[in-house]
Amino acid sequence: MSSKRGTHEELDGGMFSDGLPSLIAAAHELKSPLALVRQLSLMLESGDVTDDERQRLLRQISLTSERALRLTGDLTKSVRLDDAMFQLEPINPQQLCEDIVHELRPLFAAHGRDVSVQSRKHPLLLVANRDLLRRIIMNFSDNALHYTEDQSAVQIQVNALKNGQIIRLGVRDFGPALSSDMWRTLQSKLTSAPQPVHARPQSSGLGLYIASQFAVAMNGTIGVTRHRDGATFYVDLHASRQLSLI
Amino acid sequence: MSQQSILIVEDDIWLAEQQSRILKKAGYKTTISPHALAAIEAVDDGKYDVIILDVLLTGSTGFALLHELQSHSDTNIIPVILCTNLATDLSLDDVKPYGVRRILDKTTMEPDDVVVAVRSVL
Repeated sequence: MSSKRGTHEELDGGMFSDGLPSLIAAAHELKSPLALVRQLSLMLESGDVTDDERQRLLRQISLTSERALRLTGDLTKSVRLDDAMFQLEPINPQQLCEDIVHELRPLFAAHGRDVSVQSRKHPLLLVANRDLLRRIIMNFSDNALHYTEDQSAVQIQVNALKNGQIIRLGVRDFGPALSSDMWRTLQSKLTSAPQPVHARPQSSGLGLYIASQFAVAMNGTIGVTRHRDGATFYVDLHASRQLSLI
Repeated sequence: MSQQSILIVEDDIWLAEQQSRILKKAGYKTTISPHALAAIEAVDDGKYDVIILDVLLTGSTGFALLHELQSHSDTNIIPVILCTNLATDLSLDDVKPYGVRRILDKTTMEPDDVVVAVRSVL
């Protein structure tokens, strides 16, 4: 933990003046999964469940705990970002996204939803830290899972921008459209880093703020595009020149 | 006597399913709406005796729904039970004018508390 911890001055939105996530924001984000795990456990304790229900409750407890653990992992990583050396390397984003989809599909299926990667004909390479990029996409996907409509699919997209110099990884969700007020708030938060980014009203914005920090550590940025039926949260990173040299 | 009908407005589907299961077992009919817009449609389409409402929802918050409910003479009489992680930050006196009759704290409540709360407002 940073020695500066004692001098943190908490700002609105749950960030300290030095950009570290506040304890309040972290506690808020962890409250929901912990409260859910408690409720599901109490149902199990009551014993008033069938074998099928017991299996389903146990699965839901495991998946909810994993979600909370991912957040604690992101928090730890975020606080230590300045102290750590993160190796940037050429990464195939399509392959990384397919690995993430493989990992997340059981969680999505348990919620009656699906997640997929939009396939590309031509491979792309970007420069990133594999762990940080994975955490960003997991974070966006978790956000999309809770926002997208029942029985719909979240889509992870990989696109080249600016003549191939920038690679954009986007997570498209399908849910109620963001209101204009929410959109303006979100845009202002996105363009005034290191202010926290509020993805949805129910969120403290901590997850997206951490994603933003991870992106900056890889010389990238995060953003959001509004659609009539949802939103795309994306990270822009520099393309690797390795392919062009072949 | 016809079954009394409860609208559960909750974006955490697993929690909503558990509340629905407990209320059904207690003899109530339930409908789940995952966000405020769906709840408004549900209230337009059906008649509900109680609404159980989460505050921090996807899209508009529970307070937006409370405002909408209060603006119609046929919906401002439906008792609302807030079920939220923010219970310690809310005062019942402050939200009573919006039709809220009880506040349940998700972090400390027992599963059956939802039935007790519904019975207390009917």
